[in-house]
Order: sequence, then structure tokens, then C-alpha cells
Amino acid sequence: MLLADFGTSYVKLMAPGEAAPRLVAAKDAGGIHADLATGHNGQRHCQRYINELTALARGGGQLIREDSYTLLDCGSRDIKFVRYAAGCLRDMGWNTECGASMGFTIELLARYYQLDYREMAVPRQTFSVTCGVLGMSHIFDAVVAGASEAEAVARFVKGIALNAFTFAGSPEKLYLSGGLCDNPLFVRSLPCQVISLGRFVLLEGLKASVA
Amino acid sequence: MSEDKRVAIVGQPPLAIIRQLEAEQAEIIDLDMPMPGVRLDEAALCLPKVYCAILRAVAANAVCLRPRRIYIDVGRGKCDGAAHLATILRHALPECAVIACENRDAKDFSTPRCLTEMPLADKMQAICASVVSSAAHPLFPACHPTVGFWGVPPRDFSLLTLFPDTTHVFGWARCLENKTPDNDRLEALFDPEIPTVFFAQSFCAKSALARHLASLHRRALAVDSDEAVGSSGRAKIQAFLELNGVL
Repeated sequence: MLLADFGTSYVKLMAPGEAAPRLVAAKDAGGIHADLATGHNGQRHCQRYINELTALARGGGQLIREDSYTLLDCGSRDIKFVRYAAGCLRDMGWNTECGASMGFTIELLARYYQLDYREMAVPRQTFSVTCGVLGMSHIFDAVVAGASEAEAVARFVKGIALNAFTFAGSPEKLYLSGGLCDNPLFVRSLPCQVISLGRFVLLEGLKASVA
Repeated sequence: MSEDKRVAIVGQPPLAIIRQLEAEQAEIIDLDMPMPGVRLDEAALCLPKVYCAILRAVAANAVCLRPRRIYIDVGRGKCDGAAHLATILRHALPECAVIACENRDAKDFSTPRCLTEMPLADKMQAICASVVSSAAHPLFPACHPTVGFWGVPPRDFSLLTLFPDTTHVFGWARCLENKTPDNDRLEALFDPEIPTVFFAQSFCAKSALARHLASLHRRALAVDSDEAVGSSGRAKIQAFLELNGVL
């Protein structure tokens, strides 16, 4: 059974007989048709679809051994979280509007300014950012005011991280999933203990759905 | 029905007024409900763009329909916004008699639709339709509930289609069927044994109560929506129902 998480920038695939999940750029994934899928781009490319919050919660249930936790997924296009307390679902959120395009914008900025997030320090200052697109103007303003491009982008990334942290309910400990797990500047900018679960949590949720 | 016979209501005026209008053989029109061909943009004459979608619907309907009389509940059974809107409509529609009233009816009228097995959108439609009548409610058998919907009748009824037919209705919608819109005790009622979605319109003061009551419930989700429920709001409700074993 082919399982797929059709994200905005990447499609995550888990095929029978393969040892590990695969990552395919969304622009190269047009012909893929999965048996079971999730992700905002998935409904047109599968036999059966599970919504992303359900997949995230079920994936968290497979990977996290605690019964009280907050799991935040930061992808290209949106952010979403689930919070469990004593084994019960207590809250969830999915921001496709105000938190839109955060991961996408962060990746775009690195390419445009040729930055490597692995080498960038968490800045002292931050921007008040609620949206990847609207936050761009802060970067241009900071550069005009004399900040380096790297410093301005770092403040932007920190602002995005703080916004995501607040959206998830400001927990002391945060399980993180999605593409931004691979961005060390973003992870270090979160003001709490962070446990990165990687990009494939929603695929784990799909696996749990067929088990 | 001639236009002279059309009388509009906002919220739930006291039963005595409904009976009086029935005696006049008036056609009672509920301005809270969406009307075919009326766009919310029409409310821009009276209200800010960012405002409760229900009150914007009231304003848009009133401006388009131009009834001779509007009875508007401005008491605790509706909201402060309705009281302000009454003032605004008096200026916007000088030919219309805008009659402010406060519904303090306290006699329980029963809530059979809230508890019966029926598609939730149909159930809510029937509850809203019952507002314009003083007739006793028909008898409906109560069903065993699998989930609760707490809140007001939403602007966008499509969100109700996500729920199973065995959904029990709580909150102000229940007060509405009971014909006691100013009933704090009934409004705060919920069933702690069933997962419950606590819904409020965006920009409505009831969103605070929705959040508070959700915090007291072990299996709850507080959601709000404005004109139309978005994909994320829809997904939240669907996931909540799935993860609680309702769907």
C-alpha cells in the first residue's frame, strides 16, 4: 500500500518493501497516485484521504510515549498542532491563513540571499511576524536601516518561530514535526525544550490509520 | 402576502409579541437568517466590515427588505451589538419602526428538536424556523447522543453537515428552541459524557463563554467562524470527531 503526504513543497512517500520513507519535490510528483494520503494537495491523488490534523494526531500517538504533550507541525504552507492531556485530545489548531507560507518563505529567503541556516546564530532581536508573506517587508525595512541581510532574515525566522510557539499554546516542551525540523535556526529560536520528530510524522499517522 | 403584512424580527422577541403578530396575521421574517439574493456587503451602509456575520446579515436583510416594522431583542437574550444596530437602523431606515424589546421570558417551552435524531443542519433550521411561531413544539423522540454541538445557529450551516444525526444541541440554540434566550443556566449546560464542539461566531462575545466551557469539558473543541467556515475550521471539526471515535 502506497502512503503519501502531499505537502506544498515536498511529497513524502512510504511504499511497501522500502526501508525508509522517500522525499520527492512536489513539482516532480504529478503522476503519483497513493492508496492512502494526507496533505493539502492529496485529495486529487489518492484512493482514500485522511485530513492532516487526524494524521498528525495519529502520528504523534505512534511516536510519543507520553500521554500529555503538544505536537506542532510546521510545513511549507501552514502550521498545525495537537495537544493531549492525560491521554485525551485537549486542543488543536490549524492555521492556513495568518500563519501561511512560513516554511516556504524561509526556504525562499535562504536561496535568494544565499544563506545557510546551519551557520546562523539566533538573533537577540526579532520581528513581530504572523505571516510569511507580510513579514517580508520587515526584512527589507531592517536592511534599509543598516542590518545585514543575514541578521534581518534571522530576525524574521525567530519571529516566525515565536509566532508558531504562541499558536501552539506556549508549552514548556514541544514536539516538532514537518520540514522546519531540519532548520537549526528555526528550532533554536523556539523558546522551549524542542524534540524534533522529523518530516514523516504524518506518514506514521497514515500507517496507524491502516493498522 | 402584501408588504404591509411583513414584520421583521431580530433575535427572539418575547412570546407575547409573536402572539400579537400572529393575531395581526403578519408574515414574520427572521432577519438573522440568510436570505436568497442578499449579500452581506449590503451591511456596509450600517456596520463595519469586520463585525459579527449574524448582525451584518440582519443589517443587510433590513436594508434590502425595508420592512415597515422591526422588533429587535436588545436585551441579554441577544447582545449589545443588537442594541447598537437598533440605533443604527432607526437612522438608516427612517420609514421603518424599529421597536426595541427585551425578552425576559422564563417559562420553559421544551427542546425536543435539540435532542432528537435528525441531520444537524435540518435540526438547526427547524429550531430557527420555530422562532416565528407561538405554537407548541411537535413531539420528537430523544436519541442517545454521540456528540454535542454547543453554540448559536451559525451563519454557515455547511459546518453542521460534518456532524452525525445523533448530535445533541446545547447553548444559545437550545435557549432559542426553549424560547428563553436570556437563560444563563440553560446556555451554560453541556453533557460532560459526550465530546462536544463549542462554537461561536467570530467577533461574538459568546466566544469567551465557548472557550471557558470548553476548558471545563474533558473532550471539547472550541471553534469560531465568520461568514463561511474555512478549510482549516472544517478540518478541525472533522479531526476532532474522528479522533474521538464519533466518525
